[in-house]
Amino acid sequence: MEILNIKDLKISFNTDTGVVEAVNGISLSVGEGESLGLVGETGAGKTTTALGILRLIQCPPGEFVKGEIFYKGQDILKMKDQELRDMRGAEISMIFQDPMSALNPVMTIGEQISEVILHHQKCTKEEAERQMLAMLEQVRIPAERAGEYPYQFSGGMKQRVIIAIALACHPKLLIADEPTTALDVTIQAQVLEMINALKRTNHTSMLLITHDLGVVAESCEKVAIMYAGEIVESGSVADIFDATAHPYTKGLFNSIPSISKKMDRLKPIEGMMPDPGNLPTGCKFHPRCPFASDLETCAAEEPIAYEVTPGHFVRCHRCRSWVEELKVERGVGV
Amino acid sequence: MAQLEVKHLMKYFKTPVGPLHAVDDVSFSIDSGKTLGVVGESGCGKSTLGRAVLGLNEATGGQILFEGKDITHAKGVLSKEMKRQIQIIFQDPYSSLDARMSVQQLIAEPLTATGICKGKAAVQKRVAELMDTVGLASRYMLSYPHELDGGRRQRIGIARALAVEPKFIVCDEPVSALDVSIQAQILNLMSDLQEERGLTYIFITHNLSVVKHISDDIMVMYCGCLTEKCECDELFRAPLHPYTKGLLSAIPEPSIHVERKRNLLEGEISSPINPAPGCRFSSRCPYAGDICRERFPAPQEACPNHFVACHFVNEINGL
Repeated sequence: MEILNIKDLKISFNTDTGVVEAVNGISLSVGEGESLGLVGETGAGKTTTALGILRLIQCPPGEFVKGEIFYKGQDILKMKDQELRDMRGAEISMIFQDPMSALNPVMTIGEQISEVILHHQKCTKEEAERQMLAMLEQVRIPAERAGEYPYQFSGGMKQRVIIAIALACHPKLLIADEPTTALDVTIQAQVLEMINALKRTNHTSMLLITHDLGVVAESCEKVAIMYAGEIVESGSVADIFDATAHPYTKGLFNSIPSISKKMDRLKPIEGMMPDPGNLPTGCKFHPRCPFASDLETCAAEEPIAYEVTPGHFVRCHRCRSWVEELKVERGVGV
Repeated sequence: MAQLEVKHLMKYFKTPVGPLHAVDDVSFSIDSGKTLGVVGESGCGKSTLGRAVLGLNEATGGQILFEGKDITHAKGVLSKEMKRQIQIIFQDPYSSLDARMSVQQLIAEPLTATGICKGKAAVQKRVAELMDTVGLASRYMLSYPHELDGGRRQRIGIARALAVEPKFIVCDEPVSALDVSIQAQILNLMSDLQEERGLTYIFITHNLSVVKHISDDIMVMYCGCLTEKCECDELFRAPLHPYTKGLLSAIPEPSIHVERKRNLLEGEISSPINPAPGCRFSSRCPYAGDICRERFPAPQEACPNHFVACHFVNEINGL
């Protein structure tokens, strides 16, 4: 069953200098117990999507232009404030990117974990404290440190406190926004291992936002690649990593220096990410795309998402002919 | 002869609770035209090491020889000459450029400060050449840093370093703040410049796949000390130090066909303030014995040209 289902979501910000189109009609779904990796570079709209799911975008200047976000069949965009407050932290919770600034510096970490439990569960302070200590144990922080303040912890430990807060009420969906970007690799490996283990034991679904394809390969079953507010390619991990179809996704893979292979030169994507306040017409990627010159349609027409193989969607004009060929091969009428 | 030779370099900082050993007894050398990658996690002393080579942090002890000349405590004319030969590219292109200077002024600054170019026309011509070299379109000449993205800003940083025609560049995490597609553009630019001009790089980074891509030799640092140093491919093929093994196995690789033997390192880096005698890694090391907590392991040549600072290197690796 699908736990989260986003349909044609469009979020923009009305600023003094014009409308910034941060998220442009994305659709995605996360099944129960499933992990979806949302990958993209700075400014692709990943974090806006995450904040949109939790309705944490300030409106105005933000605006949900169109679309629906269903959580267990209920449209989050139509929820009342009280319903939203009950949902956040208990049903859907979020791990923020920067552990240094996501914690309250004047509250002990024990208080910060108990706060969530007290808010969502009708229980006594003693019961909340008992649950808080159990949570600390799960993230391997000694119970006697519950009375300490965030500044007394290292970056990796702070991120584990944030994980404890996020998982304290056993949410069904966890949104992790670049949970390991601010951490060193050995600490990143520890934190990822922990998130994956806790997710398995609690049967939590996860939306993992990252720019690191290596992290995705390790923790996700499904992947969606975002560019300029759109999902340009989505599918299973095998689809994206082994049958890469979109030129942008290919460019991303070619940009990463490999640990296992020796390469003389990297093949970067030329040019820069477009300004979300001034997006190109047609396919948003066409000014940087090595194939765009072959097709006139790229600059003129916005591509739809073609299903190249079951479950593998690619938003690229070049895929139209492939899909038609495939259909002929399979004997399906075009 | 090695272009740069560093012998037993030490850099301590005074803190109210005792000396902070940022760099402790590190020795290495680099040949002309080569790249030495320095890797390690936050706080391991890699940036301090780079800054000490430039004289931005004066070394507490040890010796730095550049083309045979001792530049450890270089002052006056020698120091000025050294600054022309050795340049640095900084990590953060957002804070290392003066926000009130235009691109043209930023690139002209090192030219006029060292007196390489005299006269407005000559400076302007040279600035245009440098912008072309680093791939900055001339229309940005009058732009200010805040108008440019990270990749273009880092190109300004590179142009500033190249302006004085150095032989040697310390690159302190030059691509860490950039997105992967831009990171690849800058890495290619740096490789091209090295080839054209025969530059020598110290490339400091925490990103192991980047360091593997660009380096000839790699030096791994942990808590201010050198733990392992050898040729690049050899380090990735056959790491000998337990820390390097843990570090390499922690890298998430963008492929779904890699069966990885997880060798997770427990714990975190210990404090470099008043460190205990003995190996700095001993608190996290699965192989640590009594000797590791008592005596500091000096780097020894475990295989030809492969230096490892570990008491048990032979036992662990069956050498």
